[in-house]
Amino acid sequence: MVEQFLFYSEAHIAVWAGLTASNLYSLWTGLQKVSGSAIFYHMHHSLLRRHFTTSDYMNDFARWVWTHLNQPALAEKLASIDPWEFTSVREVRENLLAHLEPYVGEMETFMRVPERDEFQFIELRSLAFPTGLTATDLPSFRDCLQQVGHGSLFYHLIEARLRLGRRSNDFSEWLADCLKEDELAEQINHLSPYAYNLWQLRSKIIELVETRLS
Amino acid sequence: MKKIRLDDYVPIVGSAEIQEIRALAECVGPVSIQHINSTATGGGVAEILSWVVALMKDLGFKVKWTVIDGPPTFFEVTKAFHNALHGARISVTPEMFEVFTEVSKHNLRKVDRRADFIIVHDPQPVGLIVARKNQGTRWIWRCHIDLSEADARVWGFLRTYVERFDAAVFHLPEYAKELLIDQFIIPPAIDPLSDKNRELSPSEIDQVINRFGIDPGKPIILQVSRFDRLKDPLGVIEAYRMVKHWHDCQLVLAGGSAADDPESGRVLAEVRERAADLRDVHILDLPPTSHVEINALQRAATVVVQKSVKEGFGLVVTEAMWKGKPVVGGAVGGIRRQIIHGSTGFLVHTVEGTAFRVRQLLSHPEMAAQMGRAAREYVRTNFLVTQYLKNWLLLLLAVRKPWKGLMHWRRPFPEASPEEIQEVNELEP
Repeated sequence: MVEQFLFYSEAHIAVWAGLTASNLYSLWTGLQKVSGSAIFYHMHHSLLRRHFTTSDYMNDFARWVWTHLNQPALAEKLASIDPWEFTSVREVRENLLAHLEPYVGEMETFMRVPERDEFQFIELRSLAFPTGLTATDLPSFRDCLQQVGHGSLFYHLIEARLRLGRRSNDFSEWLADCLKEDELAEQINHLSPYAYNLWQLRSKIIELVETRLS
Repeated sequence: MKKIRLDDYVPIVGSAEIQEIRALAECVGPVSIQHINSTATGGGVAEILSWVVALMKDLGFKVKWTVIDGPPTFFEVTKAFHNALHGARISVTPEMFEVFTEVSKHNLRKVDRRADFIIVHDPQPVGLIVARKNQGTRWIWRCHIDLSEADARVWGFLRTYVERFDAAVFHLPEYAKELLIDQFIIPPAIDPLSDKNRELSPSEIDQVINRFGIDPGKPIILQVSRFDRLKDPLGVIEAYRMVKHWHDCQLVLAGGSAADDPESGRVLAEVRERAADLRDVHILDLPPTSHVEINALQRAATVVVQKSVKEGFGLVVTEAMWKGKPVVGGAVGGIRRQIIHGSTGFLVHTVEGTAFRVRQLLSHPEMAAQMGRAAREYVRTNFLVTQYLKNWLLLLLAVRKPWKGLMHWRRPFPEASPEEIQEVNELEP
């Protein structure tokens, strides 16, 4: 008997981390001190909150370095970090620090931004919970995808990979392991949520499933 | 008053969102909640509480809304504290602290000691925390004001109370303070079904426009705000003067002159004087109940301006964005979080910048329409009552059983209980 896919969803609340950055140096030291959930928040909350805008950098660090520190080259490098390439928050943090280090090393003095423009580190408290929707085969998987909210896509595509340390996203794992749909699993695993927004991503996955069904 | 039900929001945010809210409420369980503030009517806090309480009841919680009372001297003291917390220089005397403490004691009888959660709004009722005896009751302080420039003496006094709560909640991280307790961030929200924000028919809009003598054929630049120097209405008039040179448009300044603010009358007079030599300026001094009128003006506007020089969290910006309008807003306070520069509107710092962006939007209606659509979606995702409620449900859970990172509620409700929750540690270095 095929193992069911249980659709979970995820909701978040922001907590002030008690730490701010006023220049490149304090951003660098802050990145070393803050919890993993702060890194996770600043890398991802745009996905949930600013899904419609394409004119902006996805992560908060890149955006702040660009708009407040006037360091466009560094901003581009930070923006290019795609958490989809990593399987832990630790790796993302290390990558961010690696991009910052040369800039911190080359400057003797650091421009400070006014207090109101400081970078505010925020942590995320997340709760994953079952939606009550379950899939047993491809048609029911597609139907569930049409019904779930974006929190569910976030949980199965991003959370599962980056904080629960799975090698792939939940959808691809289930499709490959339980339905033996290796090709479809691989196609979904190639859809980076950092290139699309969650709403577009849902349509793309449904499209792939429908193509497979037809 | 029409009964508010969560299901009424399905056409706006979708059924998945509403189901998730109900699922989160199941996680919280059948709890009792007491909200305490200092006024039942008037002001943003009472407005927000009216729908928060109704929606929490609709979720099956036992909810009570209690208003503290006190003599006029108490409210004079709390008004002075309010101003001091906003950074005003006021004279604070030991007697003021005594009045505050005494009236707080007098109100202790109003605390429902059996409630699972007591949510205290703003500084006025903060002294009720001394009633805390039952360890099972969780106390939350919801601060609706900007404390970033708070007077040290007043904040130092209030802080001794605040740190006895389980958690504090602020609109923005910039408003948070160094505290020993967790500080959650929940931005304020608007109700899309209220008279201020509900959909209006074209005839309803026309009726309002005609009543105020506004020309429906000319583009409308609108600012809705009290006649207050912090909203810079004179700056808006100067920006309009620059725009008017290039575009045949009209300016609508709609607001009220609050009875408890003697300066508003003077500002209104100055605004009238400054606009006297300009054509097509409509200065509307509206009563505080003009919700439908404000709604209609926002919907009729071509560009909405909120050129504040100081702003906590301008709900009027959210309201305009919800109506699909691009907003040109002063880059201060919460407006900087509401407007994504270049995507949902423009952030400006000067009169010249305001004029430039308004001209740009008037000259490129397709860009204005695109920004307006983005603004509406941004509000839908972030600043509606449904998201606000979701945040509160998570907060109740987080305060009852604090966790870090990701918490996993494994079993379907209602079978799950807090003891069955498995906490998942994130992968830390």
